[in-house]
Amino acid sequence: MTESKLSIVDLTKRYAAGLEPAVDRLNMEVEEGHLVALLGPSGCGKTTTLRMVAGLMDPTAGSIVVDGKEITHTPVNKRGMGMVFQSYALFPHMNVEQNVAFGLEMRQVPKAEQKARVAAALDMVQLGHLSKRQTKELSGGQQQRIALARALVVEPTLLLLDEPLSNLDAKLRETMRTEIRSIQQRTRATTLFVTHDQDEALDMADRIAVMNGGLIEQFGSPTEVYERPRTHFVANFIGQANFLTARVCTEAGRANLAGESYYKVDVEGLGQFGAIGTAGLSGSTHELVIRPHRLSVSLQPGAAQAPLAGTIERVSYTGDALSVAVRVGGQQLQAQMLTSSGDLPRVGDAAYLSWAPDDAYILPTPAVPERAAAA
Amino acid sequence: MTLLQTPVAPEKRSQARDEGKLEKATARRNRRTYLALLLPGLLGLLVSFVFPLAYMVRMSFNQGSPDGVIVETFTLDTYIQPLTDPYYWRVTLDTFQMGVTVGILCVLVSYPVALFLARSTSKWRGLLIAIAIAPLLTSAVVRTYGWMVILGTNGLINSSLDGLGLIDTPLKLTNNMTGVAIGLVEIFMPYAILAMISGFGRLSPQLEEAAGSLGASKFKVFTRVTLPLCLPGLLTAFLLVFVLSISTFITPRLLGGGSVQVLATEIYDQTTGLLNWPFAAALSVILLVLFGLIIAVYQRLTKKIGG
Repeated sequence: MTESKLSIVDLTKRYAAGLEPAVDRLNMEVEEGHLVALLGPSGCGKTTTLRMVAGLMDPTAGSIVVDGKEITHTPVNKRGMGMVFQSYALFPHMNVEQNVAFGLEMRQVPKAEQKARVAAALDMVQLGHLSKRQTKELSGGQQQRIALARALVVEPTLLLLDEPLSNLDAKLRETMRTEIRSIQQRTRATTLFVTHDQDEALDMADRIAVMNGGLIEQFGSPTEVYERPRTHFVANFIGQANFLTARVCTEAGRANLAGESYYKVDVEGLGQFGAIGTAGLSGSTHELVIRPHRLSVSLQPGAAQAPLAGTIERVSYTGDALSVAVRVGGQQLQAQMLTSSGDLPRVGDAAYLSWAPDDAYILPTPAVPERAAAA
Repeated sequence: MTLLQTPVAPEKRSQARDEGKLEKATARRNRRTYLALLLPGLLGLLVSFVFPLAYMVRMSFNQGSPDGVIVETFTLDTYIQPLTDPYYWRVTLDTFQMGVTVGILCVLVSYPVALFLARSTSKWRGLLIAIAIAPLLTSAVVRTYGWMVILGTNGLINSSLDGLGLIDTPLKLTNNMTGVAIGLVEIFMPYAILAMISGFGRLSPQLEEAAGSLGASKFKVFTRVTLPLCLPGLLTAFLLVFVLSISTFITPRLLGGGSVQVLATEIYDQTTGLLNWPFAAALSVILLVLFGLIIAVYQRLTKKIGG
């Protein structure tokens, strides 16, 4: 394995003795050139982690290693990182050019070189024509780009983005998402990106660290965290999910090269079904995760084997999607149907649900009744 | 105009005209309401500010006399005298110098306190601000007497230094400009602190963090980001203290012990001692012009630094 660009080892932050740590023995390896999203609800420790990497906050314990050098106690101005703040933090008393040049000036780069690099950075974010503007004359999206240019012009060892898109309106956020990602890929800047928006993380990141309560619940590629969530929290936080508690009965053969197996599972009150999961789960109780769009819904008792019969309790039609809530046994399951020009199903109609074994994933962690963040 | 191109039914057109009329009428009524609401305040200002000021300006052109009789006339003598007499040039210059000195010193000693209070996120912040401005609860007279006790020949400072064997003759800290400046700086600190805290609006911890992350040392962060962003607040505080200093009378009189003559004490002497009201009025107008000049410069400066 290649040497990682950034290693975080047992990083811990406790704001006050006796309090629950905001970040609890966090470990992470980030590869060169990757964009890693720290994703989680507010208060999960993602911003605290970023600030410790930036050097804006001292960790209580643990270490941060960049390019093989320990920087845990290096002061912020000696770390050579580029940071983009949620509020952009552009200097209001300097114009665009002066803002972008600030980092180069601090590094005592010769004036002529400064000028060239600032121009290049502004061109990169397509705002070369605004170099003499005052920052307050810029729109939110433009300020965001200037902040990005200011962070990148110093060729930072790491690019750190703290919820950079949260102050933009929805349309602009999508555009900036694509733009930040493409600039990041062009500059090959290893990037840590804090966000609470799962779409942003799935769309932009090479790796996602899903955080909760100061811990990383799962660290993996977007498809991994979406398709193979390790915990209930991850499955619930990323995308929509139906959860069914099931007793895993017999293993029904190997499913793929990743070592996963098909199982027969017994969902209480609903019957036996096929599901997929990691090897060696037989005999214990686990949760099944089924994404709404993986449930097939039919309004007639069709040919699908052992379909679950239920009643439609809610219909939500948004033009290009039709989602229904179906009451089956004691549970309500969310499912998505294709919209057609035909009649919409109505509340109270009968519906029949089924799924393929590949679409029901058995969470590897055993189900705990009312799981209270198992630390 | 579309109205001319598209045929509109006559009744509709008149309706539109009526609406336009109605709008204008409403606007007029609104304007009248605003004026009516402003009237009490304007009257109050007229009586308590404009009239006395006009009266003072008129008074300054009258003829005063040593026996206190004011001769209604129109003369420029009251202005010619202070403007030609080197004594009054001295007094005006001293006043100006005192204002600038006290302003600068007060800003210097208040800045750290104000910066600390403005950045504090402690739950005690409110209490700390209250403590910083608490001296305003006692009158300037009391505080001036306090300073006389501390600074006097046998005061706290001189007796301490003497007791330690550091000085042989007591330092002269009262009855001169030094004493007045020390007293004024302390007395005006609360005002300066308040003016600064409200003037530091653009300062934010994120800006300082951003500067740090871009490679600025703590010193550079201060000189390149913190200080420039504080400038509007510092200027406002300076102006406030300057204006308060050159118009104050009690402290220069008491701590100056008669040997410090500034425009305010001179005006007081002329008014109550010599009963030469026209001359006092002329000096007041000169003081007012001085204020005006400073404020004009201040506004130029704030516009320049984008406050």
